[in-house]
Amino acid sequence: MSTRVLTDFDLVLPGSLSEALDILAQNGSAVTVVAGGTDILVAMKAGFKADMVMSLTALPDLDYLDYDASSGLRIGANASIAQVVDSADVERHYPALWQAAKIFATPQLRNTATVVGNLLRGSPAGDCCAAVAALGGSLTMASAGSTRELDIDDLWVAYGTTARADNELAVELKIPAPAAGRVSAFKRLTRVNEDLAKLNVAVSLQMDGSTCSDVRLAMGCVAPTMIRLPSAEAVLEGSELNSETLEKAAAAVQEDISPIDDQRSTAEYRRGVAGVYLKRAVEQACSIA
Amino acid sequence: MSKHAITLKVNGASYDLVVASNKTLLEVLRDQLNMPETKYGCGTGECGACSVLVEGDVAINSCLTLAATMDGREITTAAGLQQNGELHPVQQAFIDHSAVQCGYCTPGMVVKGVSLLAKNPNPTEQEIREGLEGSICRCTGYVKIVEAVDAAGKAMAVAAD
Repeated sequence: MSTRVLTDFDLVLPGSLSEALDILAQNGSAVTVVAGGTDILVAMKAGFKADMVMSLTALPDLDYLDYDASSGLRIGANASIAQVVDSADVERHYPALWQAAKIFATPQLRNTATVVGNLLRGSPAGDCCAAVAALGGSLTMASAGSTRELDIDDLWVAYGTTARADNELAVELKIPAPAAGRVSAFKRLTRVNEDLAKLNVAVSLQMDGSTCSDVRLAMGCVAPTMIRLPSAEAVLEGSELNSETLEKAAAAVQEDISPIDDQRSTAEYRRGVAGVYLKRAVEQACSIA
Repeated sequence: MSKHAITLKVNGASYDLVVASNKTLLEVLRDQLNMPETKYGCGTGECGACSVLVEGDVAINSCLTLAATMDGREITTAAGLQQNGELHPVQQAFIDHSAVQCGYCTPGMVVKGVSLLAKNPNPTEQEIREGLEGSICRCTGYVKIVEAVDAAGKAMAVAAD
């Protein structure tokens, strides 16, 4: 039962990255890491038990969003969804991420929620998850004494579960700089704008004339995690983009997805719209809609 | 449970407080500082009744914000929008356009109106409606609320000339 009351917990507010990593090294799985907190606080009000909450609020210098034409986009762990919306660089070079951020939840939640937090939540419905899965990239996972890059393709391992080790903190998201001719787009299906997605999709393709390559397609709410669409990607890879190949890709999506019935939609409906939304997202990316 | 000594600046005044780890900004404003103008609606960040401004014009859900994480921050509630007894143009426009029915969503709506006009001083109707997403009125429609924000934007543009 949802009481919507926060029961007791210990809150720690490390003032430096090394302090945060020490807390994780010492307490491991007992720590619930919170950045914006817009998702985890709702879960805690609905009964999720957290013994020790570590807020990243007091960590300095993690609220950056930097774009460089050669090295690409870097988003710090405390950077908000609103910062993505406000970035002309993201709007121009990473349309899928910008479009996802633009309609993400509500203005208040965009001001508080973080991009990295959305990825680490591991929800199959995360709008930024779809965009980043399509754009490709990696998370810098820091722990006391070491750092590793975790490819976004290896992040989500099961529903609500990521490949983050208990002693690790995701400090930065990197998305490579797009080559000339790279296009991307995001689309989402909801009843009203504030809703979580019934289904979301993001696509990223390298266009050479009308031939596409390095195709990355991601879809949410159709499996236990955000997924790539390997069958549909295989149809499009290296092919001429036209209504025939798009129809084939849309049909191939059925092999990639395993949707379920839940409070927002049904498996049948999701199977019905998945191909259509994939097609529209590709058309949107190529501005042929 | 842990306790945290924080300093909150609310509506221009500074408060040194000790807050429990599980207290939200909304609870501290209402129960510790006796500022009931900010409302508790859904408690889960969907209705917007608890909206306050951080650092002047950034709207957040105070029901989803742990008070202890707001040390040193500047908060503005709906009651803090007036200056020297003069209502804020958004507040005045809500009165002029009768954009209030039961009034429960109004402090949050006003705060959201201020926030959206700070970012976009000359919004279209569509932009106003999008800017007010995350704030729910259960009495009636949103027509008068949208009209009030539109009128406030125009009044502020005239005042700025």
